[in-house]
Amino acid sequence: MKNLRLKAARAALDLSQQQLADAVGVSRQTINAIEKGDYNPTIKLCTAICRALGKTLDELFWEG
Amino acid sequence: MDHYHAGIAVGLAAGVAAGLLFVAFLFRKKVLDCHFDERQERARGKAFQYGFFTLLISTYVYGTSDVIFGHWCDVLAGVTICLAISLCVFAITCILKDAYLSLREKPRVVMTMFALLSALNLGFGVMHGLHGELVEDGALTFRAVNPIIGLATLVILIVYIINHLLRSREEEAE
Repeated sequence: MKNLRLKAARAALDLSQQQLADAVGVSRQTINAIEKGDYNPTIKLCTAICRALGKTLDELFWEG
Repeated sequence: MDHYHAGIAVGLAAGVAAGLLFVAFLFRKKVLDCHFDERQERARGKAFQYGFFTLLISTYVYGTSDVIFGHWCDVLAGVTICLAISLCVFAITCILKDAYLSLREKPRVVMTMFALLSALNLGFGVMHGLHGELVEDGALTFRAVNPIIGLATLVILIVYIINHLLRSREEEAE
């Protein structure tokens, strides 16, 4: 399932996939895979992404 | 061991040593690098699994073919064929999962090296072929190692380029 919340949060900060990838230390393809729902990241990467985007885990990854 | 075979052994050892030194130099200069992210590591683990089982199967198939059809290729060439097939399986799986190059490797530099390696080995292969040294008594000789490696690197290079072009087109469409 696509993670549109992540994509929206990234776009809100005007960050490209590459910029977010550099900020959290992964490849651009990994960010792309997470946004497309092709890859389920570990909690470590989730928290790194949340920190980079100033969001909580609930806001980006929790399916309520 | 006669002088001819001793020469071959020394030549092979020197080639392997030179290759290892070159790879070490590339790591030192950060051209090659082993820093992968978690998705890449997972994908590479799966690719390694495929490559490992391909190596097991291809080695067994090679051994069986030697028993059934007789001596059709030199042992070194046969083992190199098995390794080349397995490495291709590993590399292609990694490429398709966007996990072949690490975070710091520059695609253009690495692929240029692949192109050079491929051209060099295929060139040696053509040279040996023109001198009639690739096949002796109906069997591939150890000199076929060069074109086998050249072909494997060429396959990896072509798959990388095609995958890169297709991905770029997909991303543009998105």
